[in-house]
Amino acid sequence: MPYNTQAGVIGTAMHAPVTGGKRSLEEIIYDVSQAALADAGLTIEEIDGIVVAANDQLDGRAISVMAASGSVGGVDRDILSTPSAAEHAFVLGMLRVASGQYRTQLIVSWSPTDVGSIPDALRLGNDPYFHRRLPLDDFSSNALQAAALANAVPEAHELALSIASRNRRNGARAHPQSATLAAQPGVISQSRVTHWPVREAMIAPPVTGAVALVIASEDYIEARRAARVAWLKGMGWATEPAFLGDRDLATAPALESARQQAYAEAAITDPLAAFDLAEVSDATPYQELLAYEGLGLCARARWRERIRDFDPGGRLPVNLSGGATCINPVFCTGLMRIAAAADQVRGTARNYQAANARTALAHAASGFAMQYQTVVVLGAERPRSQA
Amino acid sequence: MRTPRIGIIGIGQSAFKPRRDDANYPDLVREAVTLCMHDAGLDFDDIEAVVYSLSPDAMVGIGNAERLGVDAVGARNKRFLRINTGGSTGISSVAAAYYHIAAGACEVVLTAGADKVGECGDSQTVLNKIWDPTYERPLPLGTISMLAMSAVRYMHKYGMTEIDMARVVVKNRAHAALNPNAHLRRRTTIDEVMASRYICWPVKLFDCCPQSSGGCAIVLASERYIRERNLDAVWITGVGHCSETYYLGDRMGTGYSADHADAFALANSFKRAYAMAGIKQPQKSVHVAELYAPFSNTEFHAIEAAGLAELGQSAAQTAQGRFSIGGEIPVNPSGGVLCTNAIAVTAMARVAEAALQVSGRAGAHQVEGAKVGIASGNGGDHQFFGTMVVEA
Repeated sequence: MPYNTQAGVIGTAMHAPVTGGKRSLEEIIYDVSQAALADAGLTIEEIDGIVVAANDQLDGRAISVMAASGSVGGVDRDILSTPSAAEHAFVLGMLRVASGQYRTQLIVSWSPTDVGSIPDALRLGNDPYFHRRLPLDDFSSNALQAAALANAVPEAHELALSIASRNRRNGARAHPQSATLAAQPGVISQSRVTHWPVREAMIAPPVTGAVALVIASEDYIEARRAARVAWLKGMGWATEPAFLGDRDLATAPALESARQQAYAEAAITDPLAAFDLAEVSDATPYQELLAYEGLGLCARARWRERIRDFDPGGRLPVNLSGGATCINPVFCTGLMRIAAAADQVRGTARNYQAANARTALAHAASGFAMQYQTVVVLGAERPRSQA
Repeated sequence: MRTPRIGIIGIGQSAFKPRRDDANYPDLVREAVTLCMHDAGLDFDDIEAVVYSLSPDAMVGIGNAERLGVDAVGARNKRFLRINTGGSTGISSVAAAYYHIAAGACEVVLTAGADKVGECGDSQTVLNKIWDPTYERPLPLGTISMLAMSAVRYMHKYGMTEIDMARVVVKNRAHAALNPNAHLRRRTTIDEVMASRYICWPVKLFDCCPQSSGGCAIVLASERYIRERNLDAVWITGVGHCSETYYLGDRMGTGYSADHADAFALANSFKRAYAMAGIKQPQKSVHVAELYAPFSNTEFHAIEAAGLAELGQSAAQTAQGRFSIGGEIPVNPSGGVLCTNAIAVTAMARVAEAALQVSGRAGAHQVEGAKVGIASGNGGDHQFFGTMVVEA
């Protein structure tokens, strides 16, 4: 571990879907922040700094972080914002604690659905001259990536159905009240194609959601005798270029870079053996498939043979939470993967708790066709300090 | 555990202009990065991570426009994230880059960005959208009207006059005339400032910053990296951030949480940076200041929040020349935000200028003997504040 101070997650809260329309965005952010603090056993007075992430286009506000100032307890406190991705807020919060200059950080992200058209809002992420009129948004770019992958590996279509079905079954166990979308392969395969080759039942409709985590330093954790800690063992993040024409969408070089960073820090050489579970970005099941390779879990030549390794009870259960295939607050799904992995290591995953979850892998992807890739390794054992 | 010292080893700034029709948005970012990389003597292979500095997406008219800048900053398949804290984004980005190294994750980090405020149509129309759509956006609020209210309150509380405000403009324009990168470089007079039209009383046209286009980039490195290569560096010895309320109504009337005349969160941010740098008496320790002040009146409460003058004293001391080049503690020798405002990188330029000053590389606007400098950035609706101490 290169970090000057070890750090861990000591509290999480995930509120999704937020339904009923009776809570304002400020109230939603307040609720999830307070819930994470309560989970950590802290009050806001014990938080040294806050990192938030939101998307101006989805929020309908320029500088959307501003509205969170009061809700996250940020008045007279230190707030930074990473609008590039929700998971980047986690990265920066961890770096701040790992620097030794902060004892604690509150990480908060949210994703509302009040905008008239989410695709239109996301389409503003294209350059205005060449690509905006295509129309290109998260959903269509993810579908282009799925098509590219299936062109390279034709069996991806069949495997994607299997992954979507498995995630839906996992979600039904994890969140029986809210993850109620169809899980039967036949239903998924017969649902209409929304963006070829992605079918309607392969992805979950966008929902309003928010997620928060509390991070603390090793000294603080020791002083507070925090019992449930998901220690950071490794972290990597990387980006691909923006223009899809500059990329081979059937590959994920930024994910490989992020994976190499994280695994090097965590001294992971055999990921399939090292992890007890994984939470993997699944904006489409094709992306989850691509992530298996990028994360070093399974080369594409062996996907069909090894796909069952990632089922519950398999060698490496993936997305026991059900992932975004079941609950999809668009902007903050990546941070939710990290929170879900932290919950597993902390033993607080309730319905979807894996047995003996000691080391977990979290993968988050954001942007068009997974432009941003983040890999986090969390463990129950405190890493050895460098200092 | 010991946090490593972190230094600035490269700086690049555009010559800021009202428009840059010759360069698209990524071109403008690349221009600053190229200047910075030359200054640092580095190749892109040396850069381990990039922190992208971009404030409201709406200012460039592209959602998550940082994605389009990935190649401009050489970040393909590297660590990359974007910071946005409004006008303070630039200094927050330097701070984020600092934490990459302070954490031990990286040795060399680039932070960069650009803005085309001059080409956004009307920045105040965009900036109105920062407020709550139900309660405060319809007023209508802009950053000018917001800080005009601060000016009125400061006048009431401390007796500031419009002439006092004009003196800040005259001082900063004189400084900018010496800075080849500044946008507004023509000297002006108190009479000329007073004769300019009101934008929002008591703020007149000449009391306002321009809408600028340009970029800025800085490379930071660990002490180990700097020592091993025997590089020249400016050390970042203090970093602070602090925030105020979102709703302006919480800063006014009876029972306000903070007085809109002052900048309590900026003061608290400076306290944090000073504590880290071991500065107990800023008026004795600080040699030069680059303070984020987009309107003339806001330079007064920025000077006071930085501890360079007592509350309500900065206007009189400005009149005495204490904050001019050649004075005791020059404030905004570059001309400051009042003469150049490319929002996404304006606060980064404050750090860059302070660093150039303490390294003796500021050129015609050099403050003689400057060894300790401070920088600040204000963002949101005078809400997010970042501060930094840099030393030779």
